[in-house]
Parts: sequence; structure tokens; C-alpha cells
Amino acid sequence: MSETILRTENLTKRFGGLTATDNLSLNLAGGRLQAIIGPNGAGKTTLFNLISGLLKPESGRIFFRDRDITGLRPHEISRLGIKRTMQIKSVFNQLSVMENLWITRQASQRFLHPFRPASRDNATRERVEQTLEQVGMTALANRIAGTLSYGDVAMLEIGMALISDPKLLLLDEPICGMSPAETERAVEKIRELARRIDIIIIEHDMEVVFNIADDITVLAQGAILVSGDPDEISNNERVREAYLGRPEDEDYIEEAAHA
Amino acid sequence: MMDTLLLLALNGLIWGLIIALIALGLSVIFGLLDIINIAHGDFFMVGTVLAWFVLEATGNFWVGFLIVPLICFILGALIQRAVIQPIRGAAALSIVATFGVSLILQEVVRMTFGATPRRILPPVEGTLSLFGIQYDIYRLYAAAFSIAALAAFFLFLNYTKIGTWMRAVRHDRETATAMGIPAKLIYVLTFGVGFALAGFGGVVAAPITTVDFRGGVDLLPVCFIAVIVGGLGNLPGTAAAAILLALMEGVIQSVANPTVARISSLVLMSAVLLLRPQGLFKGFAK
Amino acid sequence: MTASTNGRIAIERGVMVIFAAFLLTVPWTIPALINSFWVSVIAEILIWSLFAASANLLFGYVGLLSFGQALFFGFGMYGVGIGIDQLGLSFWPAFGLGIAASMAMALVAGVFAVRLTWHYFAIITVVFSLIFYFLAVSMKWLTGGDDGINFSLPPTFSFGSSQWSFADANFQYFFILATVAFCFFLMRLVIGSSLGKAFMAVRENDVRASLIGLNVYLIRLTAFVMAGFLAGVSGALFAFFGRYASATYMFYHVSGEGLVWAIVGGAGTLFGPIIGTTVFIIIREVVSTHWEHHSLIVGALAILVVIFAPKGLVGLWRETIDRLMASRAERSIPAKVRIES
Repeated sequence: MSETILRTENLTKRFGGLTATDNLSLNLAGGRLQAIIGPNGAGKTTLFNLISGLLKPESGRIFFRDRDITGLRPHEISRLGIKRTMQIKSVFNQLSVMENLWITRQASQRFLHPFRPASRDNATRERVEQTLEQVGMTALANRIAGTLSYGDVAMLEIGMALISDPKLLLLDEPICGMSPAETERAVEKIRELARRIDIIIIEHDMEVVFNIADDITVLAQGAILVSGDPDEISNNERVREAYLGRPEDEDYIEEAAHA
Repeated sequence: MMDTLLLLALNGLIWGLIIALIALGLSVIFGLLDIINIAHGDFFMVGTVLAWFVLEATGNFWVGFLIVPLICFILGALIQRAVIQPIRGAAALSIVATFGVSLILQEVVRMTFGATPRRILPPVEGTLSLFGIQYDIYRLYAAAFSIAALAAFFLFLNYTKIGTWMRAVRHDRETATAMGIPAKLIYVLTFGVGFALAGFGGVVAAPITTVDFRGGVDLLPVCFIAVIVGGLGNLPGTAAAAILLALMEGVIQSVANPTVARISSLVLMSAVLLLRPQGLFKGFAK
Repeated sequence: MTASTNGRIAIERGVMVIFAAFLLTVPWTIPALINSFWVSVIAEILIWSLFAASANLLFGYVGLLSFGQALFFGFGMYGVGIGIDQLGLSFWPAFGLGIAASMAMALVAGVFAVRLTWHYFAIITVVFSLIFYFLAVSMKWLTGGDDGINFSLPPTFSFGSSQWSFADANFQYFFILATVAFCFFLMRLVIGSSLGKAFMAVRENDVRASLIGLNVYLIRLTAFVMAGFLAGVSGALFAFFGRYASATYMFYHVSGEGLVWAIVGGAGTLFGPIIGTTVFIIIREVVSTHWEHHSLIVGALAILVVIFAPKGLVGLWRETIDRLMASRAERSIPAKVRIES
């Protein structure tokens, strides 16, 4: 399963005078947990937005397993099996946790029945209960999403990404805002998922990245700085330079280099 | 033919200046407070009615330019405090609340002023020879007053302390509050200014339109269109859009009857909304 | 589901049964208790509730703020009016024409409007409805303009020599009741269906909705056409009821009223539109016989409701009942357990 899961060709995105994605040609192999890191403004979330169809590139192409998905609309890309979580957690606030998962599952159906009661769908019910267990939120099933703690919303998002049997999971800073206990739980979950689903993760927390990633791509100013496995990255001078000004990362990279 | 065109174009231009004033009031309320003010047309109507009352009471029309905006400002501030403030501005709720205000304003006017439309005679009669046609002198006064008011408003907004505060709160509520700007007071003042602008427009327009408790209903869509076509949050754009829309309708009226002119300008507006939803004037957007 | 919510739902079911029973007996109880004029008021309330429901479907469930429902109401109304008056259609073809016309108009308008974000969507619904209002006013030969057209009503059903028509006040009432009830039943089905859940997802978070695979544009368009259907049916019923059609009812202000009734009643609830419409029309009817300035009360009520009951009257009802039930439940728990929880 080492074929390319996601490839971009000369991908460019501009916002007015700012070039957020600069002629980016990425090649990510499947079967390995891919991490994308880089300083603020490197264009990581923009890349995810381009892949998931929320933004249209100025030029360049995006390929998902050899299929050109450039220019497809977000719901079409989602239907191909690419699911994502957002940097600023984004769920259906006035619906309950269970309803959030329910509608996510039903959304992947081609046809939404306009008259048959949604709740009568037993296949969906099973899957929702399964997913609730998977992310450990069974107790919170009836809570309104808007009342959840930040960490729980993040977990719900992951649940929503999972329930529709994703072929590629894009996680945008999934543990941002989580408590240490929640982080541990989430990291375990992600590692477990990576065994059967292709995952690309954007993360700022270096500890987590070096812990779980198989391959790391470092972005800076919209372009690839360097890519490789955790060892190569931690020993790379240019990476340290890019992170100048983030002493906690620098220290960690130092430590990792001498580990 | 050319004479009619010129006449209608000038009428349209001047009417556009008046609408610009009213639409600016709406834009300020909409932009700052996120309020969909259904009562805004009625603010204009109240201005025309107050102009009539001032004329009746004092025999002097011109003094209305001072008194009416003042009264409107106070009314606007009161309405903001009593009705708008408690809701904390969710769009749906502001629609219902301002709808209620609209009903009340119309009914109060109906109770005091009556249900029959009336006309105010222009304070200055006669015509002037302009570009080869005879043009009402009062309309020229109306243009001058509108331009003066527009200029005064932009000066106020850009060069006075309160005006700057208003722009700051509009731009970034949280930072402005953090910097010590009294946001709540600004909201009250903004609503007052919005009402005052519409009321001033009412005084200017009173002699060239009818004074009627239903006079605001027709005006409201035009104001909203000007705000949106001009670009949300873009005050100069709103003014420009208002002038252009009224001018366009005036010009079309020279070749078609008023209803057809209305319909054509509405169709054009739809085209703009569909093709350039950010509005026509991006240049000055904040 | 908490116990108190279940209790509240049981109470609501009971209320609905009583309400339904009441509605079924109106033609006899009302004339006996008050007078028969009020039977037609209730019929009117039913018609306008359906109109408010169309605004509510869009705003309360999908998050689309439409000021254009009067346009589709007007197409339904004139479909019937022009159908009978100028085309010589009988009852059902005219009804069909009204519904088809309003749905077609909704489809055409929706294809363009639904692409836009909410400010632009709202204003373009105003613009579209104004365009057709002025068209209707200018085509006086067809529509009668603001004065409108009057026509006499062909029978609804005729079997041989017997006929059922709106000339019979009771038949008229029950036909309207049945039609409105059926439409509300359809709404209930849609809201509870997967499509209905998709509506709410789009309302809550349209970006997230598209990311989970929902075609937001198509979903909004579907809702828009469905709402056009509801408005069209209410317009057709209005024309049948009054034997009258007028351009005045196509003015954007009418849309605004429907929206206000729905929001005051409770946006995003099935019965909100009925309650809101009932309150406003009854106040109008009751107060106007004694005082001509009933609009003051209507306006003040609208303001008071949004300040004190931002979730509408249905929301207020639910909060009150939930609180009462919760405190009753608490009082019945033994003291020891209460302290621990």
C-alpha cells in the first residue's frame, strides 16, 4: 500500500498579493501516517482547503490516487472518500452529538429520502452507536454539540470524519485545545486509525508529530522546505531555521536529534 | 424629448442624493449594529411628517432642517435603548423588532397626522433656466442641502472623535472596546444618527413628494438595494449606488412609463446582485 | 431524552389532540359560542398559517431568510384567479395551475437566488417579488392591479346532480382545514426525514455540510421549491376563499408579515407559524372592532415577544414546561440522591 495517495502538481494559490501556496508539488505515499508541519503562515490549512475543494487554485492540479480532483466541489470530493476536520472546530452546534453523527452518515448516501423518518434507519443507528464507542462519546450522545467542551468537539469531528468510512482523512490540528488526558486519548485513537486508514495530519505539537508520524513534510511560505522521516527532519538545519522564534520547538528538535 | 430626458435625469439625480442620505443611515445601522432595520423607510416618513408639523407650527419650513434631525436623533437613540439593546442583535429578532417599530411609527403618525396624504408647498417657488429647461428652484435647494448633509456626514465620520469611534467599533468591536471606546454608547448614537439622516432626507424630500403615513414602505427596498449594491460596509459605495440607481430609473422613465421604469431598474439590480454579489464599488471598502 | 422532555412531549401530544378536536368541530361550536363570522376568521388563520409555514420552512429549518414568499403566494392566487376568470377552468385544474405556477416560479427564482449568501439572498427575494408586483400592477387587464379581480367559484366536486362547493360555508371550512392539515403533515414528514436533517445541517453550518458530502445548493433549492409549493397552496386557497385575487398580496410587506408571524410563533418549530399567525390575526380582529389603532398592539407585541421570548412563543412554552417538569422531578427525588447529583 505504498502507492501515492495524494499528489499535487505545481499547485498555486494567491490571495490578492499574498502567495499562500507556491508552485507546490507534493507526493504523499499511502500506508504511512503523513504529517505536515511548518511555521504559521506556511500554507498548511490552505493546502487542506485546496484539497477538500473549499478553495480553487490559481493553477496546478491535485490528484487523489491518480484521480484528478482539481476544481471539484467540496461535496463531490467528500463523496470520493476524503474527509477532514477543521482548524477551528466546526460541527452542527444546535444538533446533538448523535444527530451530528447521524446526518454525517446519511449525507454520504446518494439520495436523501424526503419522507421516510430519518430515525428509522437501523443501519445508520448501528453505525452511529459504533462510532460513538470508537471515539468514547457514548455517554454524551444526547448532548447538544454547542455545549460540549473544546476537546469533545474535536473528538466529535473525528467521529464525523470516521463514520463515513473515509479513504483519506485530513486532520487539521486535531489536538489543539485539548487537555493532556484528552491529547493522549486522541493520539492513541489516531495511531490506531492510521493502521487502516490513510491519514494526513497538520500539527503544531512537535511531540505528537515525532511520536506518530511516519513521514513529515515541512512547509514554509507555501512551498516544501524538506520532507522525510522523523529522524531526517529532526537533524535538518533548515527546519530549525524555519522554526526560529519558536524556542520550545527548537528545543524539542534538539532533543529528538540527540535521542 | 431631450428636455424630458434632462428633466427626468436631473430629478433622478436629486432624488438619488436624497436616497443616498437615507441609505447611508441604513448602512450605518446595518454595518455597525448588524440590524436589518425594517423601520428605516418609516424613519424617512417620520421626517416628512415632522417637517409638515414644524411648518404648521412655525410657518417656517427651513427651521425644520434644524429641528427635525434633532428630534429624529433623540427618537433613534430611544428606540435603540428600548428595543434594540435588549435583543443583542440576532438578525431574525431584529427583523421582528424593527417590524414592530415600523407598525408603531406608522400608526402613531396615522393617529396624529391622519391617514390622508398631504402636500407641502415648496418654500421657494418658481423655476430657473438650467441647460435649456425650466427647473424647479426648490429641487436645486434640495440638491444643495443633500450634498451639504452628505459632506457633513463624511466629515463627521472621518474627522471627529465620535465619528472615529463609530468607525472603530464597526471595524473591530472587541479591539475598540479593549481600547476604552464605550461601545454601548456608540450603538445608541449610531441608531440616532441613522434616524437623523433618514429624517433629514425626509425634510428635504417633503416638498417634492407626498407626506403620507405609508410613505416609507416604497422606499425601504431601494435603500437596502443601495446598501448591498454599493457593497456591505462601504459607505461611499452606498451613496454612489443610491445616486446611480435613482439616476438610472429617472433616465429610463424618459422612454417608458414609471412602472416599466421601476421594473427595468429592478431587473438591472437583480443582474448586479447575481453577477457581482460583493457590490459594485469595492474600492473604498473598509 | 430526559424524563422532563418526554413529559413535555406527552403534554404537547395531548394539546394537539384537543386542538385537532376543536378544529374539527368549529363550524358548530363557534357559531354557538360566539358567532359564525369567526368560522371564516379561523379559515383565514389556517390559510395564512400555511403561508407563514412556508417562510418558516426556509428560515427556521434551512436558514434562508426569504422576503419573497408573497411572490409565490401571488402566483398561486392568480393561477386560480386567472384560471377561473380568464381561462374558464374549473376548480381542480385552476388549483393545479396555481400550484404548478408557484412551484415553477420558485424553481426559476431559486436557481439564481439560492447561490447567494444570506444578505444578498434576502435582498434578491425582495427584488424578485417587487418585479412581479409591479408587473402585476401594470398588467391591470389581466390581474386587476391593486384592485384585483373578483370571480365566482366553480364547484369543487360534482357527482351527477349533487355538488360540493365553497358556497357552502362548512364545506369551504373543511376543505381548507383538510388541505392545510395535509400540507402540515407533509412538512412534518420532510422535517423528520433525512432530507429534513440535511436542511438543518445546512442551516447550522453550510461549510461543514458540504464537507460531509451534502450538495448545499441542491438542498437549498429543494427547500425553496417546497416552500414555494406551500406558499402557492395558501395563495390558491386564499383565492378560493375570497373569490378574489389582488396584486396587493404580492407586495414584499406581506412576506415580511408571514416571516414575523413565524418568528414570533417560534422559528424552526412545526407549530410556531400556526401560533404566531393565530395570535396576530386574532388580535387584529378582536381589537379592530373596538379600536382602530390595533397596529400599535401588534407592533408592541412583536417587540415584547422578541425581547422576552427570543425563541418565540413555542420556545417560551417549552422552556416553561421543561422547567416546571424538571423542578417536579427534582422534588420527587429523595434528598440524599439530590445532594449527590
